[in-house]
Amino acid sequence: MRTYIAKRLLLIVPTLLGAAALVFVIMRVIPGDVALLIFGGDAGGHIDPKQLAAMRERLGLDQPLIVQFGTWLWGVLRFDFGTSLWTGRPVIEELLVRLPLSLELALAATMVSVIIAIPFGMLAAIRQDTWIDYAVRVISIGGLAIPSFWVGILCILLLVIFFGWGPPLEFTPPWVDPWANFQMMIWPIVTVGYRYAAVTTRMTRSTLLEVLREDYIRTAWAKGLQERAVVIRHALKNSMLPVITLVGTEFAFLIGGLVVTETVFTLNGVGRFVVDAVAHRDYPVVQALIFLTAFSFVIVNLLVDLTYAWFDPRIRYR
Amino acid sequence: MTTGIRRHRTFTAFVILAVGCLAVPLVAGAQSTETPRRGGILLAAIGADAPGLDPHQEQTFATLQPVAPLYSTLLQIDPYGYPNVIGDVASEWKISPDGLVYTFKIRPGIRFHDGSPLTSADVRASYDKILFPPEGVRSIRKHHYSAVASVEAPDPSTVLFKLKFPSASLLTNLASPWNVIFPKKYLDKDPNYFKNNVMGSGPFKFKSYTRGSTFEGERNPDYFVKDRPYLNGYKYFISTETSVRAAAVRSGRAYVEFRDLPQAEVDAIKKHLGDKVVVQQTPFVIHFDVAMNNTVKPFTDIRVRKALNLGIDRYTGGRVLYGLTGLRDVGAFTRPNTEWAMAPAELEKYPGFGRDAEKNRAEARRLLAEAGYPNGFKVVLKNRNIKLPYQDWAVYVIQEWRKIGVEAEHRPLETAAWYADGRDQGNFEVMVFPTGHFVDDPDALLAPFITGSSQNWARFSNPGIDDLYARQARTLDPVERRKLVIELQKIVLENAYHIPGLWWSRNVVHWAKMKNWVAPPSHFTNQKLQDVWLSED
Repeated sequence: MRTYIAKRLLLIVPTLLGAAALVFVIMRVIPGDVALLIFGGDAGGHIDPKQLAAMRERLGLDQPLIVQFGTWLWGVLRFDFGTSLWTGRPVIEELLVRLPLSLELALAATMVSVIIAIPFGMLAAIRQDTWIDYAVRVISIGGLAIPSFWVGILCILLLVIFFGWGPPLEFTPPWVDPWANFQMMIWPIVTVGYRYAAVTTRMTRSTLLEVLREDYIRTAWAKGLQERAVVIRHALKNSMLPVITLVGTEFAFLIGGLVVTETVFTLNGVGRFVVDAVAHRDYPVVQALIFLTAFSFVIVNLLVDLTYAWFDPRIRYR
Repeated sequence: MTTGIRRHRTFTAFVILAVGCLAVPLVAGAQSTETPRRGGILLAAIGADAPGLDPHQEQTFATLQPVAPLYSTLLQIDPYGYPNVIGDVASEWKISPDGLVYTFKIRPGIRFHDGSPLTSADVRASYDKILFPPEGVRSIRKHHYSAVASVEAPDPSTVLFKLKFPSASLLTNLASPWNVIFPKKYLDKDPNYFKNNVMGSGPFKFKSYTRGSTFEGERNPDYFVKDRPYLNGYKYFISTETSVRAAAVRSGRAYVEFRDLPQAEVDAIKKHLGDKVVVQQTPFVIHFDVAMNNTVKPFTDIRVRKALNLGIDRYTGGRVLYGLTGLRDVGAFTRPNTEWAMAPAELEKYPGFGRDAEKNRAEARRLLAEAGYPNGFKVVLKNRNIKLPYQDWAVYVIQEWRKIGVEAEHRPLETAAWYADGRDQGNFEVMVFPTGHFVDDPDALLAPFITGSSQNWARFSNPGIDDLYARQARTLDPVERRKLVIELQKIVLENAYHIPGLWWSRNVVHWAKMKNWVAPPSHFTNQKLQDVWLSED
């Protein structure tokens, strides 16, 4: 196992290098001159060639491609992603403002989802075709069908209409003021967690149903084991692999993909930053954020792979 | 509220006007009989993030509202007497008998927030940047000052504007809230410095700005107006969602949304909070239109342009959209019922303004068929990602065009991308385009139709229009000027260069504890907040 972990950790290096190269190449093959795009035809399209050249120099675009890649990679290794063209601040500083919020939301929503989804998915599977199963299925289909932003707006409106209270409009980190943080974050966490739980509940139910029909489960029942032992010890762990994969990929997605929820709850997270950076043609930020997303997926996938072994002892890593 | 502009016609009488000591405290004192309370942070919700922080280079409330309290201007529109002009850094001014030299005296003792003194050199440098922008620097409103030949600073407290010809609008346009005074030393180093930075001499100092989230200012203890401001600071919360901003006001997380909220939201807030809130309703010097890119097919064809104009029933639109958005009045390019407006009977002769919508549509279909589009065509309608009223207006236009066979795909863009595609690059076919100004001034309202203007998103050029624009700008006789203004609008309408939409009206709802603020018919003026105070936190 140790060897496997070491191998997987080493494998991260070429994976990230490949991701970095891909991000770098994509940013350069997209049509249009980035420097020209940044000026955006200001002053009625009359762009000073000196300024254009200066911008190319500032972005390092006057260098050979391999030098540009090396410089960027060296910066990435030192957490130096360059300077945002939009805000004029280092990209890493801009990221550090937004990352705690996105991480908190992603972690808390994942926890909410797992806490809701596993028990309810199990309950629906072991009580298949009863009113409990129907109720779980209806609620989880609701979570899939109703857009998160609508649930979010509904949440805010109900709070304001019935309690005359609205969530704070500005993020306060939990280590600064936990209560203010809770007041703001609980609503997006519930909103995102509901959709996330809906997906996970359905996955838990269907995989558990499949496992419960296996021969070894029938044998366990025949041996006279109690329901709790059959379901939790024998069935649940074996049904968890697809669920773990789903939770992992959803978590990585949540770090950078919550644009609409962030907009509704006025959260200044990574998702909105990505969209704003693209809109402002903030080339260093876009490059950094795509790389960050790729990094999140690589790390989450590693954790998912390692978790497999704990859940399913049949998996032997070589 | 008076909707027209009170003109300063002093030059027509060839007399020297000295408007001295129009001190702001007098204005403030006239407003409130209650004793102002000091302290508190004014919390406001705003519907977009600023594409840039330099008001000379931007044209959106998203820039001006957050930064206006940080800056001073040469003159300003009276916060309590729209559209009268009063001084800001100028304490007095006079106009030469021939109307060709404007002399301004700068108040002594004004300091920028970095401690350096504000002198005539800073005023000159700021206006030079607006009037004669160096290469690579955008100046949105330079066409409003075509009369100005030069700006001079003969001594630290005097600024001279020398004109090529007498101008009817210059004094009003010098009160533009966009023309903030920057320190010369920063402009000398980089004329684009203020795109991302702030350094002013206004009642508040810059505190923090988190893009996409908040913008904060704090009290300037060295402000040149004694005992101002009353507030300790102000804070804008940015949200593009109308319902979120309305909920923020309703829950007291924000005390005001300065731009506008839909009537339905205002009614709900008023019903919920009763006397705790105040609603101010005014007209709005903004109309929401659709710009057609006249340089791309099929909009190079006048028949297609006319058809798209004919395809929109504006009268029904005004009735349907008012409750939802505040868009109501049908008019051309100057606000209805003002001295510059076209008479309704006259307007009805132009494409899209006839009262019989079915007849208009039949004519539109005929023109499209004649132009080679008997089954209509598909088009992308780009828009700003702000619901009120941009997207509501677009939805109405799309369903109207569908009736003449034109299928428009709605594509909302983030503010900066919308400006980049519309204003800067012309990367669009049709685009929702509002025209607004801080006063009803023809120089400003008609600038989108002159050749080469950065406000001419439709990118058409008509020497006749340019000539009329230049002539009206230098015509001092209001009757004669009105004729030219109307004639110019007729040419735009006849050629269907542009699609005029509906004029907006403004609903500002704020908590009653926010005192001493009056909503003018523009969300660009009265945003300095120097006289605003909170009766409680």
